Amino acid sequence: MSDSLSLLFAVLVFPGGLFALVLGLAIKGVDRRVAARLQRRVGPPLLQPFFDLIKLSRKETMVPAQASAFIFRWVPLVGLSAMALAAAMIPINGVYQPSTELGDLLALFYLLAVPAVVLMLAGSASGSPFGAIGFSREMAIMLAYEGPVLLALLSVAIRVGVGEGHLISLSLSDIVAYQIAHGPFLLDPWMWPALLTFLCFFPANLGVLPFDIPEAETEVLEGPLLEYSGPSLGLFKMMSAVKCVVVLGLGITLFLPGGPDGIAGLLVFAVKCTVLAVLGVTVVRTAMGRMRIDQAFYFFLKWPAALGIASLVIVLARS
Amino acid sequence: MEGDVMLSSTILAWGGVLLLLAGEVAALASMRNVLRALVISSLAEMGYVLFGFGLGSVAADTGAVMHIAYQVVMRGLLFLALVPLVRAAGGSRLDQMAGIGQTNRAASLMFGFAMFSVMGLSPFKGSFSKFLVLYGAIEQGQWGLAVFGTLASIVSLFVYVTIIQRICFERRPEDEPAGQSSPIGMLWLPLAILTAATIGMSLDPQPLEAWAQRMVGAVGGAGLPDYESPWSMLVLVPYLGGFALYGIGLVSGRLRDLAAIALAAATLVLAWQNGNSDAASWLFAVIFAAVALVVVLYSFAYIRAHENANRYYFFLFLAIGSLLGLATEQQFGNFYVFWELMTWTTYFLVIHEQSEKALKAGRKYFLMCATGAYVMHFGILLLHAQIGSFDMVTIAANVDHLPPGVTTAIVFLFMAGFAVKAGLFPVHGWLPDAHPVAPSSISAPMSGIVTKAGVFGLIKVLFVLFGAGLLSKASPAGSFSSFGLTLSGLGAVTVVYAEIKALRERELKRMLAYSTLAQVGEIIAVLGLGSYLALAGATFHVMNHAAMKSLLFLAAGSFIFRLGRKSIDDFKGVGRAMPLTGLFFAIGALGVMGLPPFSGFFSKFLMIYACVEAGQWPLAAIILTGSVIGAVYYARVLRILFFERYEGAPVAEAPFSMLLATGLLAVVVVLGGLLPGYGVDLVRPVADLAASRGGMLVVDIPNLQMLWPTSAIVAALGAGLAFFVGRYHPVPAGLLSVLAMLGSVAAILAEGAYGETLSFWFALLIAGVGAVNLLHSIGYMRHGHAHGRYYFLFLAMIAGLLGMAASPDLFNFFAFWEIMSSWTLFFLIIHEETPEALREGFKYFLFNFIGASIMFLGIAMLGARSGGFGFDQIRAAAPGMELPWLAGSLVLILLGLAMKAAMLPIRIDYQMHPATAPTPVSGYISSVLLKSGPYGVLKLFAVLGGTVLFSRLGMVMDVSLPFYVLSVVAAITVLYAGAQAMIQTGVKRVLIYATVCQLGYILLGLSLGSAIGVAGGLMHLVNHMLLKDTLFLAAGCILAQAHVVDLDDLGGLGRKMPWTMGMFLFAGLSIAGVPPLNGFTSKWMIFQACLQSGHYLLGLAALMGSLFTLAAILKFAHAAFMGETTRASETMTEAPACMLVAMGVLVASSVAIGFFPGLLLVPIAGIQQSLGLDAVVATWSGPLPGLGGWSNGPLALLLIAPGMVAWLYTRCGGSKVRVGNVHLCGNAFDLKESKMNVNSLYESPDGLIRTVLAAPADKGSARHV
Repeated sequence: MSDSLSLLFAVLVFPGGLFALVLGLAIKGVDRRVAARLQRRVGPPLLQPFFDLIKLSRKETMVPAQASAFIFRWVPLVGLSAMALAAAMIPINGVYQPSTELGDLLALFYLLAVPAVVLMLAGSASGSPFGAIGFSREMAIMLAYEGPVLLALLSVAIRVGVGEGHLISLSLSDIVAYQIAHGPFLLDPWMWPALLTFLCFFPANLGVLPFDIPEAETEVLEGPLLEYSGPSLGLFKMMSAVKCVVVLGLGITLFLPGGPDGIAGLLVFAVKCTVLAVLGVTVVRTAMGRMRIDQAFYFFLKWPAALGIASLVIVLARS
Repeated sequence: MEGDVMLSSTILAWGGVLLLLAGEVAALASMRNVLRALVISSLAEMGYVLFGFGLGSVAADTGAVMHIAYQVVMRGLLFLALVPLVRAAGGSRLDQMAGIGQTNRAASLMFGFAMFSVMGLSPFKGSFSKFLVLYGAIEQGQWGLAVFGTLASIVSLFVYVTIIQRICFERRPEDEPAGQSSPIGMLWLPLAILTAATIGMSLDPQPLEAWAQRMVGAVGGAGLPDYESPWSMLVLVPYLGGFALYGIGLVSGRLRDLAAIALAAATLVLAWQNGNSDAASWLFAVIFAAVALVVVLYSFAYIRAHENANRYYFFLFLAIGSLLGLATEQQFGNFYVFWELMTWTTYFLVIHEQSEKALKAGRKYFLMCATGAYVMHFGILLLHAQIGSFDMVTIAANVDHLPPGVTTAIVFLFMAGFAVKAGLFPVHGWLPDAHPVAPSSISAPMSGIVTKAGVFGLIKVLFVLFGAGLLSKASPAGSFSSFGLTLSGLGAVTVVYAEIKALRERELKRMLAYSTLAQVGEIIAVLGLGSYLALAGATFHVMNHAAMKSLLFLAAGSFIFRLGRKSIDDFKGVGRAMPLTGLFFAIGALGVMGLPPFSGFFSKFLMIYACVEAGQWPLAAIILTGSVIGAVYYARVLRILFFERYEGAPVAEAPFSMLLATGLLAVVVVLGGLLPGYGVDLVRPVADLAASRGGMLVVDIPNLQMLWPTSAIVAALGAGLAFFVGRYHPVPAGLLSVLAMLGSVAAILAEGAYGETLSFWFALLIAGVGAVNLLHSIGYMRHGHAHGRYYFLFLAMIAGLLGMAASPDLFNFFAFWEIMSSWTLFFLIIHEETPEALREGFKYFLFNFIGASIMFLGIAMLGARSGGFGFDQIRAAAPGMELPWLAGSLVLILLGLAMKAAMLPIRIDYQMHPATAPTPVSGYISSVLLKSGPYGVLKLFAVLGGTVLFSRLGMVMDVSLPFYVLSVVAAITVLYAGAQAMIQTGVKRVLIYATVCQLGYILLGLSLGSAIGVAGGLMHLVNHMLLKDTLFLAAGCILAQAHVVDLDDLGGLGRKMPWTMGMFLFAGLSIAGVPPLNGFTSKWMIFQACLQSGHYLLGLAALMGSLFTLAAILKFAHAAFMGETTRASETMTEAPACMLVAMGVLVASSVAIGFFPGLLLVPIAGIQQSLGLDAVVATWSGPLPGLGGWSNGPLALLLIAPGMVAWLYTRCGGSKVRVGNVHLCGNAFDLKESKMNVNSLYESPDGLIRTVLAAPADKGSARHV
């Protein structure tokens, strides 16, 4: 019973749910602020994402007549739930060790695809041509980045597995433990191809420049989100925030998991997330323009794919 | 002095022969003038006399004297009868005289009689003086003389037959005036005397022979072969009956017809009771008499429309008598007489219609067969010269004393004669001409039994008289004897040649004739093996083919009878216009195609088995290739008969007697299939008889009885009922079908486990999903047609599947496999009858047929070396089998199974069920039927003892080589089919490719063979069954309302059909692997199985595959359910309850499994244990097995919790909802117009995939039928 309760806590409060939401929104705030500063703007207050959420919850929900209303209204809930669960699967060294019942790297990988699916369904169901375009682009870019990132994930898993004396280790806890024992992969040049691949995946999965093509405000007016308003839009914002933590946490788990015990560990984790977000998202997105969908598609099939393959080959050759 | 006599007599003999030959050639050259030709030929006959005297032996001298007497009388009659004919024609040029017989019946009758008598043929037995002379020559070793004499006879045959045909049978062209008639006048008296004398000499040549002997000074018949022996009752009854019928017919036609039936029945009884002959004779006599009875029954109505019915019955019964005679005769003298009489009487039947074509074909037939008989006759005489007897028993007792060279010569001479009759390549030329031109009632026995006379001769002479041991001693050739090698070689050539010719044939009866040629080729090819099983198999097929091909010709005759047309294309839809005849024809055709549960399958199986058992698998492969070609043209005919629209005038069913005849044969074909044991019991004594001659190992004939489990019987009975109910009451028929399926479920539960639990669970799923799809069908078929046929075929197909699942041995597995994957499937998927449906369905049928044939060979190979098909037998024998054989058979079987699962779908139009099939059927095929591939793989693996055995074939990364190859193929298929699914634009094409992709997952898991891999594969098998069926049924809800091919034609259905959309999305997302749904769980296990065992690339492929699936599903959902409506979808509404309930059951099951994967995993662990494989650890409610096992139940619940909290968030603002329009940023474009074309939905990936796969862009609906 207590086991179930602790799982529920992990999903709803910490490290999933509330904690991830707050951290995610905070990171978003930092991101917006830093981006503004980099662009010589003032930028919104750090808490602006929180204000937005509150504001949206007070609004009424608009549903287009052309939408498939049921899907349109309830699909965001699915995405948010999936991300809450995914966040509970991320270990925070010294603070939180996910229960084995929560699944492994593969399950996390599949859960990570859920927000994209939700976004696509939302765009598709909205009945808006812009939503359809967004859906189409989201699928295209997903098809391109999933392969390379999978190669990166497998490289890490195989490296850890071989190090532990079997073929592969898909357990996130094992990956953390291995790096605690043998040093983070961030410092291992042989793992840098995997790291680079992961860094490419980063903005694409989070939907920011140069890969924010599905939502491109200036072209398709946020695409799938165009028709959303009020609390439904708020759900998307929350999903996005939690997902941000999940993806950042995954990156940290894979490449730099160490940290002290207790509250300090938590802080270290938050800092690592923020730093990674600023370096991997904010800087990139302010420095670059948006790619066209075909450019992005072929980009992933060239560089990250090549890096991913190289990474896998290296790991296999060295094992 | 003596030398001089010898020399001078030799010169005399040679002079005579050369005179004979030169004379006949001269007659041939002067044939333009009948009189001159006949005079020259008469003079030439003197050569025979000189020939005889020149040889100087008793036999030759007697023959010469007899020849003089015969010729004087018969030629006297001939020239006398010619007088009025010449007078009527006003000259003796052949052109002038052509057809003059039509107006001078009496003279022409006597002329013809005399001409044939001169040749040695008449209804009254005929003369044998020539043969005495030839015997004299052979006796003295004068081969040259004998050959030249025979050559001359052959030339004369040509002259005579041509003259007879032109004068007596040719019809004068319409535009020419009818010929004159000339009275016989005073000639009648000498004509009558000569006719009587001819008849007398033919009937009883004894006095003449005695007189001739006295003339030459011989005493007591020493040195004379004893040609004559009394005829048996069995022959006399039909033979004399023929004369009696002729007499009755002069009084009353009706009475004659009835008497004919009685006579034929009596003959059959006599044949059955005939205890005097050996097993082979008995069996063939019964077959001949039985087919004869059916033919006479048929003729009752059929021949009334023809003129010359009296002549027809006369010769028919003479032919029956001769056939029975040659089958039962123990004396070679009579045997030869019967042989010639058979040719001669059937010749008249062939030319019965007297058309130009018929006469030409008849002449060819007569000349070829008579020539063949002459050659065979050489053998008979040689045998007598060596052994001194015509008696078969005596001969059989003494053949082993013959020198090998003589044996070889004799056997080849016999073989030549028999080969012509049987139609063996290259002496088959007459057959495809003669069979079709005869009246259909005659084509039937020509194909059904007359060709079998040749086969009978081969069996009798080669295996009963000489015996296999002696043959291989006399002339060995590897594992064959040289005779066997010749027969098998020529038989194989015949098969291929004839099947190809039949394929190109557009006339129904000609096609059937070529098919006969091919079937006889198969029989003879197998016979050539000379093993016990070969004899049993070949004889069995003789029996079955006699019934099937007679049935086909008679039924074809009924069509022609009613329609008066012969080309296959003229029979569009006739099978439905004449339903009973059509049904019978279909049964015959399916039988000849070798499909169960009809009799042809079992004899074909035995023949293939015999080939393989003898180690001659290439022969089996050739025969199987032949039957693939056969399947093509038979399927084409059936398609035209039943699935094209009939457009002619209303046509009545065939008359009762014809229906009765065809119906009887159809019953025989069906019963022969349901109870093949009786057939085997009939042929076993024949094989025993041959084995008793030595040189043949007696082997167990495998038990060919198909074991129908109760569940399959229930389904089959339901099928039959639904067929009749469905004709008039569609909905009750549907409900009945659902009930039948529920009955099957109950039967399976009652029967309990089938040896191993895999089959038990598979059977339950077969019946359970069957019930669901049939329920859905009630709604789908609301506006359909031919409900009875639909439900019948659907249930019959399921019955096949159920039988397959319950099969206790490999034979049953294959037999039921054929039922579910051949005809039932084919007819079901072309139900819509559109040209595309027919074309595409046919491709799939062909592919399945080829796959089954490949598997057939593998199974036969495995069984042959195990001494049977029992799973235990095979498991015990496999480890000791020589490696190439084992590997070959396993690869063939695995190939067949992989083909069923449509691995590497490069030509999806062949490899998968077509989009044009009725959608519930598509769903069933995709979700259940195709699973027979993976099911078979697992079963085979387990039956053969798993990795322990397969490791003999080599190991790669802990997986045996064939399974490693399979896993790679499966992984490639996952990617390939997934990518294809993504770029399709056809409503069903998307789902069809997606199915193949998922089949790849299943096979990938199973082929890895680890506990988690097998469990994952099995689990995915069930999940995919539920999910893909849901998808198809959802598509069916749409397609039932409008015929839509292209996804672009749909749109906006989500608002009209919310339930359908909901269930579609659920199933789609689940199969794409969205956690925590059930589709994800099984995929997760397969990924684990790949990755944990180090097959990283396979795992990677599997992971990428689900992305493609996701893209395909979302594309479908977007196009069909979202956005604006289209013209086609505007009027659509939510599906009726029965369809929703059907889908609901599937979705509910999926949800349950999603929460509790143990529902599947616990039985799966049980299955693994019962198969003797490593089992996963599973509990009803626990997590998935393996490291970091995903816990569905708790996690699914955990997902609901944040969802509920988030839901609260949406409520806190009062949750007001306002409906508005889509925001268009001030643009006023039309939403319908701006809808995204599915083709351009995933532009970049789509284009890349098309480039990589070299797949052209879809252009409109024409492409994806």
